[in-house]
Amino acid sequence: MGVTVAALEARGVTKRFPGVVANDHVSFDVRRGEVHTLLGENGAGKSTLASILCGLYRPDEGSLWRNGGELRLSSPRAGLANGIAMVHQHFRLVDRFTVAENVVLGRRNLPFVLSAARLEDEVRAVADEFGLPLDPRAIVGELSAGERQRVEIVKALYQGADVLLLDEPTALLAPPEVEKLFVTVRAMVAAGKSIVFVSHKLAEVVDISDRITVMRGGKVTGSVARGEADVRRLAELMVGREIHLDRRRARRDVGDVLLSVSQLHLERDGVEVLHDVNFDVRAGEIVGIAGVAGNGQRDIAEVVAGILVPSDGGVTVCGHPTTGSGARGTRRAGLSYVPEDRLGTGLAPSLSIVDNLVLTRDRGFIVDRDTARSDALRYIDELEIKTPGPDTPTRKLSGGNAQKVLLARELVAMSGARVLVVSSPTRGLDVGAVEAVHELLDTARAEGRAILLISEDLEEVLTLADRVLVLYRGRIVHDSPGVDDDVEAIGRAMAGLVA
Amino acid sequence: MNANAWLLTFSDAISIATTLILASLGAILTERSGVINLGVEGMLLMGAVSGFLVANSTGNLWLALFVAVLVGVVLATVHAALTVSLRSNQIVSGLAMVIFGTGLANFLGKPVEGRPRPVVILDVDFGPLSDIPFIGPVVFGHDVFTYLTWVIAAILSFYLHRTRPGLVLRATGDAPATVDAQGASVTRIRYAHTIAGGALMCFAGAWFMFARGVAWNQAATTNGIGWIALALVVFASWRPLRAIIGAVLFGFSLQVPFTLQSQQIRILPPEIVAMFPYVVTLAVLVALSTPRARRLLGAPKMLGQPFVRDER
Amino acid sequence: MIVAGRRIQLEARLVTPKWLAFVVPVLSIVVALVIGAVFLLATGHAPLRAYADLLDNGYTSFYGITDTLGLATPLICTGLAAAFAFRMNLYNIGEEGQLYLGMIGSAWAGIALAGALPKVVAIPVVLVAGACSGALWVAVPAFLRARLGTSEIVSTLLLNYVALNLVNYFIFGSRGFFRDPTTSFPQGRTVEPSVRLGALSFFTDKRTNTYPTLFIAILLAAALYWLIKRSNYGYETAVFADSPSTARYAGMNAMWLQSSVLLVSGAIAGVGGAMYVIGPAGKVDPGLLQIGMGYAGIVVAALARYNFLAVILTAILFGGLRVGGAALQASSDPVPIAIAVVLQGSVLLLALGGEIFRRNRLRVVKVSVS
Repeated sequence: MGVTVAALEARGVTKRFPGVVANDHVSFDVRRGEVHTLLGENGAGKSTLASILCGLYRPDEGSLWRNGGELRLSSPRAGLANGIAMVHQHFRLVDRFTVAENVVLGRRNLPFVLSAARLEDEVRAVADEFGLPLDPRAIVGELSAGERQRVEIVKALYQGADVLLLDEPTALLAPPEVEKLFVTVRAMVAAGKSIVFVSHKLAEVVDISDRITVMRGGKVTGSVARGEADVRRLAELMVGREIHLDRRRARRDVGDVLLSVSQLHLERDGVEVLHDVNFDVRAGEIVGIAGVAGNGQRDIAEVVAGILVPSDGGVTVCGHPTTGSGARGTRRAGLSYVPEDRLGTGLAPSLSIVDNLVLTRDRGFIVDRDTARSDALRYIDELEIKTPGPDTPTRKLSGGNAQKVLLARELVAMSGARVLVVSSPTRGLDVGAVEAVHELLDTARAEGRAILLISEDLEEVLTLADRVLVLYRGRIVHDSPGVDDDVEAIGRAMAGLVA
Repeated sequence: MNANAWLLTFSDAISIATTLILASLGAILTERSGVINLGVEGMLLMGAVSGFLVANSTGNLWLALFVAVLVGVVLATVHAALTVSLRSNQIVSGLAMVIFGTGLANFLGKPVEGRPRPVVILDVDFGPLSDIPFIGPVVFGHDVFTYLTWVIAAILSFYLHRTRPGLVLRATGDAPATVDAQGASVTRIRYAHTIAGGALMCFAGAWFMFARGVAWNQAATTNGIGWIALALVVFASWRPLRAIIGAVLFGFSLQVPFTLQSQQIRILPPEIVAMFPYVVTLAVLVALSTPRARRLLGAPKMLGQPFVRDER
Repeated sequence: MIVAGRRIQLEARLVTPKWLAFVVPVLSIVVALVIGAVFLLATGHAPLRAYADLLDNGYTSFYGITDTLGLATPLICTGLAAAFAFRMNLYNIGEEGQLYLGMIGSAWAGIALAGALPKVVAIPVVLVAGACSGALWVAVPAFLRARLGTSEIVSTLLLNYVALNLVNYFIFGSRGFFRDPTTSFPQGRTVEPSVRLGALSFFTDKRTNTYPTLFIAILLAAALYWLIKRSNYGYETAVFADSPSTARYAGMNAMWLQSSVLLVSGAIAGVGGAMYVIGPAGKVDPGLLQIGMGYAGIVVAALARYNFLAVILTAILFGGLRVGGAALQASSDPVPIAIAVVLQGSVLLLALGGEIFRRNRLRVVKVSVS
């Protein structure tokens, strides 16, 4: 094994954002004709690194190298000029245009007069070269997710990219389309391209990767080559952490089933986003759903809360079937929901705290703001919400304080709510606020409520939950009853490796 | 019923259509970049009055038309500044432009109210060609600008669908973030096309004044043609060549009341017939609103939304 | 935007100073007056004298104020109608047509009642008739929007022209129900006196153009203000206008909210038409078509930033402009009445532009060449 010059390399790259070090002295490289996967959870820093590699971000420290020469990228256009392209998770395509029009859109030196036939031929040539079946005349808006991704890839290749960074490429694909993607990748690699996969789905990428580098907390925690890959070890590297044994667990016996979800299916735009989801939550217990973002978390929460109607299956709250009752009906049955999007969904940003407190109450013809106001004052005091007053618009509150308002409304106020669905309750909050929220949830559990905790923060789930489920591609792939959580198994499940 | 009269109606329809086509071409350019400019009605009037005033004092048609275009540039720049740079509500800004333009046109035109137009755009003399039955008056009976309008429509169609800047323009209305990521300036594209659109709209008003208007009289000058032009954009699915077809149709519906009156035909009272163009337009709009139609022929996806780049 | 090595950018403010809420509209008016002055000068008029006349005839003289208040009465209604819809991002531009339909509908009720009801009942009936007619006129665009997603902008607009021709038809084109049977001169048939209200005299012996309907309009504004502030319906529309996703989370019905808001908006504009009949006109009057009350209502609403109580003030302001402008046109150095419309449009454009400065601050940053 001689010294191979890397096609693209990051040396000692550090990138800071307010409050977090996204990349901490990270080194990474990819060679010609290789697939190198960056593995990690959300927040591990892999997307940041990929963004730096393609020119979207500039590193605070460290350097980039290409084929042995140092590289300074001022923008993604500069990256493209150097043959580096990123295919984003959310496609940047114009639905109305044909495939050919989308592919050529970014090209700088297009002729003034476009000949559709000529362009289509060019695009077809590139697509065929890499074995990508594409009809240049198809309208992008009518294509499936897998086909659109192919358009994005052809777009990158057409513009001369040698290094392609694919950000969570399998996230929006159904399994058969994943297969087709890998065929494409193999063809590109055979032609000498360098591919960087950014992913958390270890199960899917383990076979296609020549090398896998794991990141966690902004640092590289390990790197293996094909053949050396021990998937268990990789899952551990990705997700393992020192768990603070200061676990809050149910001290008392759990009671009756208050929330029951059975055979839940949800389809959207012809794609199945939830598949055969079943679980129960009992009084006095916290059931945690772990999983990396984008595996159906919001869909489960909204179906349970009554906002979305499932394609099949049912939800029962406190003994009443609530499927199809809508958000209000489900609430009346005894369920309250704290969504992960605090300010855009859970609260109306321009309205005051008082006005937001009545959002999920039954209001008469006239809105009773007096009770809400005295409630607001009480919560501000009890929960130590930092605000100029109860009439402050909620968008002026910090994340932690907004979350307190939300929890006050759904937890404390809704004394009739026996079931609580909470999504990512501590995202973006500082340590003190996280403590406060966990305290509230613990108290709620002690009062005998049934809590469904959906969180991308595995540590949070492990700390709070009495039972842990793992959500992967819309399915429950792990369900561990009892106190002894096998962190390893959970980690593997989150990466898609089911025993 | 006099067949000749109907033929003349058709010919007149094509002529009126010129204003509609020009105004809607202007709106198409603007809306394709993602900006909606409702101020067409005000722009038409401002173009008419400024052209009139210049012609009144100089007697020079070309200067009058030039000034009208200039006025359009100025007004459209105001709209673009408000909506693109300052990200104001595009609907309200356009309405303000209608009110402002209508008021200003009225104000400036008051001294010359009722005065007949100082110059007239004459039809092109095709000699014996215009005597051909049927085709004669319909095809050969118009002025040079009407023919020019068709050429402009063809040019714009080519621009939009067959050139690189046209491709980028179409992308800007649908996915400005993508265009921005490629390094092009969404702001510049929107300004340029809003201003070009405004120029066309004011030109349309000036043309109307000199070709079809009899005298300066604000109330009778445009009478809602601006709004019909906006509806025409939808009818044409934002495509220049289709605007011609729709414009003739709407022009016909605008002309029919006059023909009925001149032919002394009273099937319906003239006021009811006068509703005809608006009802037709509304019906067309409804027909085009079915989900299937919208998917295939719809508006630029980000029409009316200010573009804000996420800062990194 | 980069000018001379410095980048000028807009930066969101953390705190919005309260005084800005007043300064921006006031400044818009001042600058608009300057712009108007420019046009006045350019056309050979003396701006200061013109403005002094405007002030006197519009606001400070007895007949000035009363005329202004009279004009403001239906203008408050169209302003409320626009504010009610626009704050929900529903662009009802059809207030003009809804106003006319309100006039027609209330005149119909006024004539058809034939004095059968006592005044205290008849007048509300006529007002309700006006409201229903206005709502009817917006019902089709509302339905089209709910069912087919047709933009309400052009649909309500087109119906304005249909309504205009409808009024013309009833007065000039037919000799039917709405025509005055006592004369061959085309004019509307007067409604029964029991549905008319006499002009206010303000404790003098002068005949003014202000009618008690003004108080009804003010009451309506107060009622709407109360509705939005205190009622559940007002609350839900406020939530929806602020954040549709929050409304969805809370289980609110978007389609119902949007359709009902449009209908209420049309109804309020219709009431304006009814007020015109109850007060000055007493019949279907084509003269209403010349004023452009519906479009002016949009300007009034926008300047009031869709606040129902502020609409009263801006309506009086614009009413005064029109009255003063009319007087200017008739004065010794006639200025076209259109100057009032120019001022209206300018104020709105400036207020729009100024709005951005409420939320943002201008910052000038030196840009280093990189």
